[in-house]
Parts: sequence; C-alpha cells; structure tokens
Amino acid sequence: MSELFSTLLFQNTLRTATPVVLAALGCLLTQHVNITNIGIEGMMLTGAFFAVLGSWLFGSWLMGLVFAMGAGVLLGLFYYVFVIKFGSDEFIIGVALNIFAGGLTVFLLRTLFQVKGSFSGPGIVPLPTLTFPLLAKIPLLGPLLSGNTLLVYVSWLLVPLLWVMIYKTPLGFHLRAAGEYPEALRSAGRNPNRMKCLASVLCGMLSCLAGAHLSLGYLRMFAENMSAARGYVAFACVIFGRGNPPLVFLAALLFGFIDALGLRLQKVLPSDLTSMAPYVVTVVMMVAVVLLEKRKKKRLARLSR
Amino acid sequence: MKKVLSVLICLLLLGGIISLATGDEAGGADKVTVALCIADTLGDQGFYDSANAGLNRLSEDYGVVPSVVECKSDASAFKPALVDAAQGNDFVVAVGWQFWDALAEVVPEMPDTKFIFIDNGLDGVGDNLMSITYKENQGSFLAGYIAMKLSKAGKVGMVGGNNDDTINNFMVGYKQGALYANPQGAVLEPIYTNGNYDAPDLGKEAALSLYSQGADVVFAVAGKTGLGVFEAAAETGNYAVGVDSDQKYINPDVILCSMLKKVGDSIYDAIGSYLTDGVFEGGQIWDADMSTGLVDIGYGDDTMTQQVSAELKAEVEALKEKIVSGEIVVDSTR
Repeated sequence: MSELFSTLLFQNTLRTATPVVLAALGCLLTQHVNITNIGIEGMMLTGAFFAVLGSWLFGSWLMGLVFAMGAGVLLGLFYYVFVIKFGSDEFIIGVALNIFAGGLTVFLLRTLFQVKGSFSGPGIVPLPTLTFPLLAKIPLLGPLLSGNTLLVYVSWLLVPLLWVMIYKTPLGFHLRAAGEYPEALRSAGRNPNRMKCLASVLCGMLSCLAGAHLSLGYLRMFAENMSAARGYVAFACVIFGRGNPPLVFLAALLFGFIDALGLRLQKVLPSDLTSMAPYVVTVVMMVAVVLLEKRKKKRLARLSR
Repeated sequence: MKKVLSVLICLLLLGGIISLATGDEAGGADKVTVALCIADTLGDQGFYDSANAGLNRLSEDYGVVPSVVECKSDASAFKPALVDAAQGNDFVVAVGWQFWDALAEVVPEMPDTKFIFIDNGLDGVGDNLMSITYKENQGSFLAGYIAMKLSKAGKVGMVGGNNDDTINNFMVGYKQGALYANPQGAVLEPIYTNGNYDAPDLGKEAALSLYSQGADVVFAVAGKTGLGVFEAAAETGNYAVGVDSDQKYINPDVILCSMLKKVGDSIYDAIGSYLTDGVFEGGQIWDADMSTGLVDIGYGDDTMTQQVSAELKAEVEALKEKIVSGEIVVDSTR
C-alpha cells in the first residue's frame, strides 16, 4: 500500500491534471458569460498541433506557445462569431469544432509533415523544466513543487489570478453580469457581447495552452486525437466547481488522482474496471453537485417564504 | 432560369465524377488492385505502418494499384470498409485481429475477391481467404532474453495495449526469455492500456510506473501508445524494447532492439507469389514462425548506438536456431 501512495502517484496526478486544469480555467470563463462551451476538446487538440508546428519550425518552445495561443485566439473568435454574432446553437458549434479539429490536425499532419497518425522527432523543442533547489528540499512536497514543466507553474499561477479577476475586479464583475443579467450591463453602458468575446478568446487561448502542455510538456510529439476527451472532463470539472477557479482546480486534481490511481490498481483489479474509474467519479461528482444544488434551492425557498 | 442553370451544373458535375470514376477503372483494368483495411490508423511506426510499407513495395516492384482504408478502431466501420474494398479491388488485406467477425460475413459474399487476414486465423470461410498469424511469442522470447541480459537491476517490464490473447502471447514469450537469461531475475506484472493503442500519454505513465518499481527495461507492445514508453525511457534514463517494426530509429539511445513482426514482408510475399506464380494459398492459415524470418529481432543499422554487444547478438542467433529446431519450446496463449 505504501508503494501505491508514493510521491510518484502524486507526480502522476499533477501531470495528468495539468492539461485539464488549463482547459477548465478557460472553460469557466465562458461559463461565467453563460456560454456552454464544449468545443474546448477541439481547441485543445488544435493547440497541441500548432505548438508542435511552431516549436518544430523555429526550433523554439516559445514559438510553439505563440503558435498555440495564436490558434487559440482564432478559434475563440470563430466560436464567438458563430455562437453570439450569428446566434447558432452552442452545442452544435462546439461539436462541429471538435470534429473539425480532429480532421484539420490529421490533414495538416499529412500535408505539412508527410506523416500519418503521429509526429515526433528531435526537431521538436520541448517546454523547459523548472527546478527550484530551495523548494526541492522541502520534505514530501519537494519533488512535487520542483522539476515540473513551465505550464504546470503557469496553471498554478492562473488559479488565484483568475479568482481575483472574476470576483474582485470590475472586469470580472462585468464578465459575470454579461452572463447572469446582460440587460443590467447594457443599461450601465457596457456591451455584453464584448465581454462574451473576451471570454471566448481567453478560453481559446487557455485551451490551446492545455494542448501545448500535452504535446510539448507532457510528451514531445503530436498524435492524432491526443486530447483524448480531456476537454469533456475539463467541462465536467467546471460544472463541479461552479466556475470558481480554486474549486475547479481541485476537481481537476481529483480527476488526475483517480486516473493515476487507476493505473496502479491494475495489480488488484481488472484493468477494464480501473480505466473506468475517472468517468465513474465524474458521474458521481455530477450527481452530488445536482443534489447539493437542489437542497440549497429548497433551503432558499423555505427562507424566502 | 436559375433553377435550370443549377440543375445543369449539377448534371455536369455528376457527369464529370462518373467519367472520372470509369476512366480510373479503364486505366487500371490490367493492373492488380490491392486495398489495405486497417483496424486503427496509420502512424504507429510499427504494425500498421509495416503493412503499409509492404503494400508500397508491391506497388513499386509489381505495379499494383494500392489503396488504404483506416477504420480508426470503429467496429461499425469494419464491415462496410471490407465490402467497399472488395467491390473495387482484386485483393483485400485486413490488418488487425479485430476484423474476425466482419471477414466471416463478407468473405463468402465476395468470391471474386481474394482476402488476406493479418494477425488472426480464420478457416472454413472460403477458398478466397488466407490468414497469416505470427509466432510473436518466439520473437518476444529473444526480446526478453536481450532485455534481461542488459538489465542492471535484473528487473524488466512490459506495457501492453490490451489484456487479451494476442498481447499476452508477447508477454508469455517475453517472460520465458527473460527468465531463461536470468532465472533469478524478475519480470514485473505488465501494465495494460485497455485497448488504447493510440494514447502515448497513457504509455508514458504506464512505463514511468514500471521504471519506478525498479525495472530498467520495458517492452512496449501497444502501437502508438508505445511511443510514450520511449519518451519515459529517455526521461528516466532507462531502456525500452520496440515492437513490430524496427523502431530503433525513433530513439537509438534508449531502444535496445525491436521484436520484429514483418507484417509488410508477409503481405509482400503472399501477393508477390500470386503475381509471379499465380499461387494463392486460399483457405489456409499460414503461421509465420521464426524459421520464416518473418518473426525476428532488429537492431537498427550501424549508424545507431548499439547497446547490444556482438557476443549477445551471437547468443541470440544461437537461441534462434534452438527455437527453430524445437529445442526450446516457447510458451503460447494461442
């Protein structure tokens, strides 16, 4: 059992959770402006591809990130234009985006790299790993705090930053107003659509960064459909954490933990069962949230009577 | 007016498509056409890519017209893909054990097309189907032997794509070979990625877990997922063993050798013998063992770092002969 709960388990948790954290942070912004964005899955995949492309073309991870974020801005605008400007159904556009991303990356992979299915090679410069000698000396936590790739730290910094932005700044106030009561924002002389546009673009950027972490931080390759439903898990985390960045972060960590645990439980349980674990937990989490919400509503209803 | 114009344009386009299609057929009438139906997708730098390489060689050497259909692990796509391929081609090569049920249905309905089933044996279906299976357990025996000989800790592991007979056939051979090299050594329980053959991230986590348990060589038997195993090996400074194709080139510093399952060569041989002598072994299961050379060990080429010494290579050659002669009987799950 002690072998099971080693530092390695928690390192694995962090690695698995980080892409979900980044995508979920993006998704919660659109959630606050009342857009149900399930397109983050496709955004993530596109980000993963363009990160590899940028890194490979220029031999620099920084260009990889620039490419990924550029793709993110475009996808965010695309999503905004179709969902808000043209008023299409957000689910249809989200699903279309996911399918489109799957096809686009495969097509580009074949035309740009002349390979099928996956692209790896020494030409891809990975994200740097940051080590902090001081942090590394902390017992138990040391190996978790030090020696991660760049975007892991970025994701940690973003959690409090986004929390402050959403709940403590005028910008965040406007953002939430655009989602909850756009008329109020409009009567205050602000355009709710501008807030929605901002949220959508930021969401695109963060989702693509999540993809960049997959292809340049976690692995050093692009593989067809490598986002592997993480976008949907991120979406579930946002619902579970009610759009509150620290709660969403915890939800993503929980998912990562269950995933990492599943791999290690194969010794005891059949492997088909263990691979189901993260999804079972997701469903249980969702049911719990719905029940809690219901109870809260009932209490409020009693109070107001 | 607009309506008439649009109808006219539609007819024109339709005519164009039809003439293109028939033009194609007319041009390729005397050439043999071969369609490759792949259960997953290309790009695994192993099993499927090897099959595709074999097909490309056929087209270069014999001028056959090749085409590839990727089914992306979508079981509902298997049957339509086979039917479609059979209607327009002389040969259909189904690559992947997953085609079992679909082939059993399609083969009797398409007597004019010759089918080749790769990696699984199906008999009694029709004279137009030949199956090719591989003694991957024999090759894995050698892989296990090399892995254990080069393991400093005396501990080796394996990442498998799925917990099934095909993957476990690698495992039993690998384990037997490793223990043959060092009876005191340990072969860790394999970690399976549950049918995920295209998830390098899972492969990486699985391999990291095995390395953390003290193994220093991990055998990757999981298609594209295996690419993550090589990443993990490079990151932790351990070794890995490749599978199906000679994968050493992917990372010569960490991949000791590869267990070869020469899928491409066997397709090339099977169709090549038909094209030269008119021989097609329909209705048969061709079990490619070590004596055929289609199951083997690959060390890359001389430009790559060679961790396996010449002596060890000679030992492996001797073992090969023992396996061929039957002196060593390798365990099997099939």
